[in-house]
Amino acid sequence: MIPFVFIAFIVLTVISACVVLWSNNVLYAAFSLLLTFFGIAALYVLVGADFIAITQLLVYVGGILVLLLFGVMLTNQNGNKENGKNDIIGTNTNRLIGFAVAFGLFALLFFTFAKANFVNIQSNLFESIETFSTTQNIGVLLMTDFVLPFEVSGVLLMATLIGAAYLSSKTKV
Amino acid sequence: MNAIIALSLFGISNLFLGFLNNRKILLPATLVFILIALGLNFADWNHEYYWFNNMLKTNNLSVNFVTIILLSTFLVVAISRSFGDDDEHSHPAEYYAILLFSAVGAIMMVTFENLIMLFVGLEILSVSMYVLTGSDKRSLRSNEAALKYFLMGSFATGILLFGVALVYGATSSFDIHGIAQGVAKAKEQMGGAYGPLLYSGVILIMVGLLFKISAAPFHFWTPDVYDGAPSIFTAFMSTVVKTAGVAATYRILSISFPSVYGLWGNPLVYIVCATLIIGNITAVYQQSFKRMLAYSSISHAGYLLITVLAKRPETNSSLLFYSLAYAIATITAFAVLMVVSEAQAKNGKADESFEALNGLANNNPLLAFSLTISMLSLAGIPLTAGFFGKFFVFSDAFSNPSSLFKWILVIAILMSTVGIYYYFKPIIAAYMKKGEVAKIELSPLYKFILILTTTLTILLGLAPDLVKNIF
Repeated sequence: MIPFVFIAFIVLTVISACVVLWSNNVLYAAFSLLLTFFGIAALYVLVGADFIAITQLLVYVGGILVLLLFGVMLTNQNGNKENGKNDIIGTNTNRLIGFAVAFGLFALLFFTFAKANFVNIQSNLFESIETFSTTQNIGVLLMTDFVLPFEVSGVLLMATLIGAAYLSSKTKV
Repeated sequence: MNAIIALSLFGISNLFLGFLNNRKILLPATLVFILIALGLNFADWNHEYYWFNNMLKTNNLSVNFVTIILLSTFLVVAISRSFGDDDEHSHPAEYYAILLFSAVGAIMMVTFENLIMLFVGLEILSVSMYVLTGSDKRSLRSNEAALKYFLMGSFATGILLFGVALVYGATSSFDIHGIAQGVAKAKEQMGGAYGPLLYSGVILIMVGLLFKISAAPFHFWTPDVYDGAPSIFTAFMSTVVKTAGVAATYRILSISFPSVYGLWGNPLVYIVCATLIIGNITAVYQQSFKRMLAYSSISHAGYLLITVLAKRPETNSSLLFYSLAYAIATITAFAVLMVVSEAQAKNGKADESFEALNGLANNNPLLAFSLTISMLSLAGIPLTAGFFGKFFVFSDAFSNPSSLFKWILVIAILMSTVGIYYYFKPIIAAYMKKGEVAKIELSPLYKFILILTTTLTILLGLAPDLVKNIF
């Protein structure tokens, strides 16, 4: 049963990712991205990373995707009045370079994982998700060993916030 | 470490100072903040401290790097002239706060002991720079540069993160000393070979970091971004970001991966040669002084990487000396460029071409002299700091027994002679070309900074031992 579900989610993720790639309509691409994010969250659940799965749902599906849809809707209200075209239909340029870079990265990662020797990873590290949750460990570690990165992320967010507020504030042109 | 906490707090206090109606207080306040952070930084001198469960490590090397970073930040803030405090469009409090935050990121990049800290530091620095690049919202070029930098930079960060994940897979550690042990262990198990995870991980980490210091072939964003960003932030980018990036690259390559030198050394040879050749040759063809400085910063990344590649015991001090000499000279050059391009503005647009410098020496001897010294230093002419910077770097390469370094040296020396050609262009324009630049009024602080950096450049050129003994 589990392998079947696993493969089903992989197929869902890959197909929806391909739709994102090949769809010219930005709105369809955004909705398809929803399925991709959802499929990846499901894959996280299946490999036992429950915390990351929830984070994926909250941050990507709940936050980023809604932001993306808002962006699409707010910037394309009535289409482009000048040439009568709807800006929601995008066009692809420089396909060759994009394809080359993506293929290079894919080939690198594919061969890396295909040839990698995963003997160092002990299989007993992973317990069944029904009895074991990573959330508590992550929470404890964030407040003990990794408290500094956790805190300085605040500086990162602060800088981002100031930057976003400054860049989006109104100025007389 | 204390400097990180202090600067984060000062950044926030800067925002509160922005509520005051008096904008004049921001510049002196920020300068004082940076000086305090510099003082706190020296508290770690001559100690080896691990902070927060091996997240950061401070020693003399990191204190020196932090000093160079804070000194560069100080100089850049000092020549910012309150970001045009008469202009209602400017938001000096935000600029200063973001500059202080990005200094926090840069400090984390030179003191990190854990790759998570490297990532967070790099992100703080990069996000700040994306915003500052686009801070001139009315300029199309600034917006274009910010968007380009943001998209490219995000990809580079993603690639770095891929690399970190793969290295973790190979060594099961995020700690840079732990990675070194993991690498040694894996090497032992596999009989001297290294697995594909480690191989791809190291390459991807290198690509991510080299992108940030704009080494070829990952330099393509540099000219447009440096050219489009407001000059003051270009000065910051080409000094602080470069120093931090090179320090981080050196730190991770020399501590985590010294035992797999061939893995990163061989690609780095090509990268160094490509960076030197592309940076210097393309700089020759530039018509704009600012764009020339962008290509010059690419070529200096190449010289800095030579000593990283040479992997000598003296590499530490050579890197520090070169970064210091380069930062001081570049900031001087940008200080002159900023005032001259504004004085020569046509139709409200600052003129950044070489022609804007024509006849500068007639009415502005100080500006012309500072420009000359900084250009000589960047070109590596004796009696300036830049000469000894190049000298130390080249002698590191020379003392490496591998015969490969002889060829790198040949290329590097050839390219420095190419450099002399384009670095003399502004000097010739300032002293020999006919033209008229009206007398430019400089504030006392601005004059002081120009005199200070020029004196430092000459002083380090006459007596490099002054700081070489410390480094």
